[in-house]
Amino acid sequence: MRALAFAARSLVRQPGRTALGILGIAAVGALLFDMLLLSRGLVVSFRDLLDSVGFDVRVMSTDAAPLGGPRVPHASAIAFELAALPAIAEAVPVRLTDAEASTRGTRPIGFSLMGMDARGRRPWTLTAGRDLGRDAADTPPSLLVNRLLADALKASPGDEIAVRVVCAADRAALPPVPFRIIGVAAFPFDAAAERSGVASRASLAIACGGDGGDDADMLLIASREGYGPDAAVAAIRRHRPDLHPATNDEIVARMQATGFTYFRQISAVLSTITLLFGFLLITVLMTVSVNQRLAEIAAIRALGFSRARVAADVLCQSALLVGCGGVLALPLGIALSIWLDAILKAMPGIPSALHFFVFEPRALMLHAALLSVTAVLAAVYPMALVATLPIAATLRNEVVS
Amino acid sequence: MRDTWRLALSSAIAAVLCAGVSSFAPPATRRDGVPAMLVSRQLRESQKLSIGDVVSLSSEPSGAHPRQFRIAGEYEPIPDPMRLGAVRHEVRLHLPDLIEMTANPADPLAAESVDALNVALPTPADAASWARETAARSPGLVLRSTANDDRAGPFIVLERFHLAIAIVTVIASSIFLLALMLMLVDERRETVGILRLLGVRRRRILLHVLAEGLVIAAAGAALGVVLSVAFEGGINRFFQWRYDTALVFVRITPAIALRSIVIAVPLGVLATLASSWTLLRREMFSLTRR
Amino acid sequence: MTAPLVEARGLTRTFPMHAGPVHALRDVSLRIDPGEYLAIRGPSGCGKSTLLHILGCVDTPTSGTLIFDGRPVGALPDAARSALRLLSIGFVFQRFFLLPMLTSSENVEVPQAEAGVGRRERRRRTAELLDYVGLAHRGDHRPAQLSGGEAQRVAIARALANRPRLLLADEPTGELDRATGEQIALLLDRVQADGTAVVVVTHDPAIAARAARTLLMRDGRIVP
Repeated sequence: MRALAFAARSLVRQPGRTALGILGIAAVGALLFDMLLLSRGLVVSFRDLLDSVGFDVRVMSTDAAPLGGPRVPHASAIAFELAALPAIAEAVPVRLTDAEASTRGTRPIGFSLMGMDARGRRPWTLTAGRDLGRDAADTPPSLLVNRLLADALKASPGDEIAVRVVCAADRAALPPVPFRIIGVAAFPFDAAAERSGVASRASLAIACGGDGGDDADMLLIASREGYGPDAAVAAIRRHRPDLHPATNDEIVARMQATGFTYFRQISAVLSTITLLFGFLLITVLMTVSVNQRLAEIAAIRALGFSRARVAADVLCQSALLVGCGGVLALPLGIALSIWLDAILKAMPGIPSALHFFVFEPRALMLHAALLSVTAVLAAVYPMALVATLPIAATLRNEVVS
Repeated sequence: MRDTWRLALSSAIAAVLCAGVSSFAPPATRRDGVPAMLVSRQLRESQKLSIGDVVSLSSEPSGAHPRQFRIAGEYEPIPDPMRLGAVRHEVRLHLPDLIEMTANPADPLAAESVDALNVALPTPADAASWARETAARSPGLVLRSTANDDRAGPFIVLERFHLAIAIVTVIASSIFLLALMLMLVDERRETVGILRLLGVRRRRILLHVLAEGLVIAAAGAALGVVLSVAFEGGINRFFQWRYDTALVFVRITPAIALRSIVIAVPLGVLATLASSWTLLRREMFSLTRR
Repeated sequence: MTAPLVEARGLTRTFPMHAGPVHALRDVSLRIDPGEYLAIRGPSGCGKSTLLHILGCVDTPTSGTLIFDGRPVGALPDAARSALRLLSIGFVFQRFFLLPMLTSSENVEVPQAEAGVGRRERRRRTAELLDYVGLAHRGDHRPAQLSGGEAQRVAIARALANRPRLLLADEPTGELDRATGEQIALLLDRVQADGTAVVVVTHDPAIAARAARTLLMRDGRIVP
């Protein structure tokens, strides 16, 4: 009888203990799997989100995080200059500010307003009505809103609303300006409860009394096909060394070092704890099982089983327990990750399209590798017990006891 | 003047007076006509600044139009878990100095504008209603009660997250405990069989088993609390060093310790009971047979 | 004179204990010929089982030489000793030590599988052995479903699985009643008659009387 089949029969002999061992590994394995998903989940999801918008470089005035530093002055001229570079297909200044909107009969509702002159690529998806035109400065100015804002205002495409924009910190409160909602769109960076809208920069200037300034919080850059984001960044640095461009990867790396670091840490801590737990569980189970079967093991050693053979039996038992538990851990882990993801996505300011737990084949392989190592390490002590078992003394003790 | 130094301010200038709690001594306003400022501990350490140094600050990315300030003291930034990895290079100025440095000279109202006003009410419970009334009377103002401060949101979410992890850990621990108790009980199989053969009643054996389970569970729970208190300091020290923050990551309070014991002890007793149940119900001869 | 199957010269075995060393064997020498039936008797604690364990390469002597089929055993590594036990020596224990999770047939197959015997041959041999011990109809039963005598017969079938040249039995009837013990004794007679050397450690004078030679031990020595 081969070692694996022999081990399986030994485990089946103690069904309660075996079931608990497998369930225990499944529970910690599920948590381990989730922590592996969490360790890179935000990074992967954030990168996908950045890439989905269609722009692969962002330009800021300093090396602070996007939206965290001073604005880029003379943004239109800079965008024009950069768009002329061979490595760059599109350069779009973006201004982000707060605003309030109201219709007749509703209280003012705060929302995030983006000022952007969309040309080719648009960081939103139109779901109703029509999209913003190029450099549109309609009368009244056009506004695209997200579904939450439209519902809060009880407005639909074609309706006119009053919008008061926060133009600068040192400005007095300006009177509201009429805007026409021309469409409803989905903005990928919107948080779950966030109300937002987008208008052209010219419309923003109108709302700021004709003096919105030519500052931008950042410029969105799309590299030209065949060049890539690194080439675009290099070209920008050569042309305008005073600016701070960053590829999507670089932005993700910065976020990973700052905003995401807590989740990486907790992922590392919990992964370690779950592995230790699994190791302890299997070691204890196997050791107690071996200690209860010492006479039996001595007998089969006396029959001619070698040390390696009996040790292999213990290793196979450990592998079977951890293997079965590890397989069961996967659907449990996926279900758990859905729950945990829903909890974490409630964090304020987190885009609803962002996920904390993202499946990668790498996580699955790492999960399997870590559990395999755990199975082997957990079996070391009980393997040593059976391999060094004094046959004669054990047989003698069994008879005497 | 010890040092002339130009800082390109990005997010480093914090709004003065509009921040929350901070631990610092109010600086003297001016000495030799140079206004005072406070620097964050992290900034002072990273740039090797000293109290009394005179530095130049500029609000422009190019460093143009710098102004001199004297470092009057340092402070510890309010720990913010959402900015855990962020390097807290911050300074605090007197409001007039900040306004003077950052205001647009072409705007006559710039010297009268701030980002926010913090208001303390005689009766904090009235905050929501007062905010509503004031907003109605002052269009253009956004009033927010700190009771609904969305900065508390991340903490609440993290608490829920940690609770979810704790639930999974408790489930896994319970399974482990049950497995251990099952093995313990199995080792006693023969002993229980012999006791039954001698006439000891099931109920007495059950009480014995329960008492044993209670002792093990209580001792284990107490040891767990002791270990967690022992690790608390180490964990906090490590992460405070790692992230250069004063944030407290782990705090074992009496309430938490009590909650842990209240969960662990019944679980331990239940595990003992569950694992002993079949043993006590089995026929006594089958317990002693090899 | 045929070469001996087993030759032991000057075997001693000492167990270090807290209260002082225990000399379980003192200068024991003996010889077992192929096909011989040898009984070893003596009071409890005289070293009978210790001697059996050394003869079966389960234990190593503190000093002395053991030669099995012309080969010194003392210098063999553990793997070689295990192989020797698997292929050339069969063990029968007082407490049977059948594997409880396997059926009778599977218990008999275990040593054959370990020796690399193919499945078909294993099954044929197992059926033959169970028939030999009179338990052909109990092949699918687990040890818990067998009586003591039946379990010991399965143990004997297991011990004979790889056609050993030497069968060692340590108190094979120790836990059996007289009638069942008699059945086991008859079986051992048959094994010996078929050419396997049998060494039995026993308290039972009836078992010892069936052997061609009996060694008496006392205080770790063979009493002449």
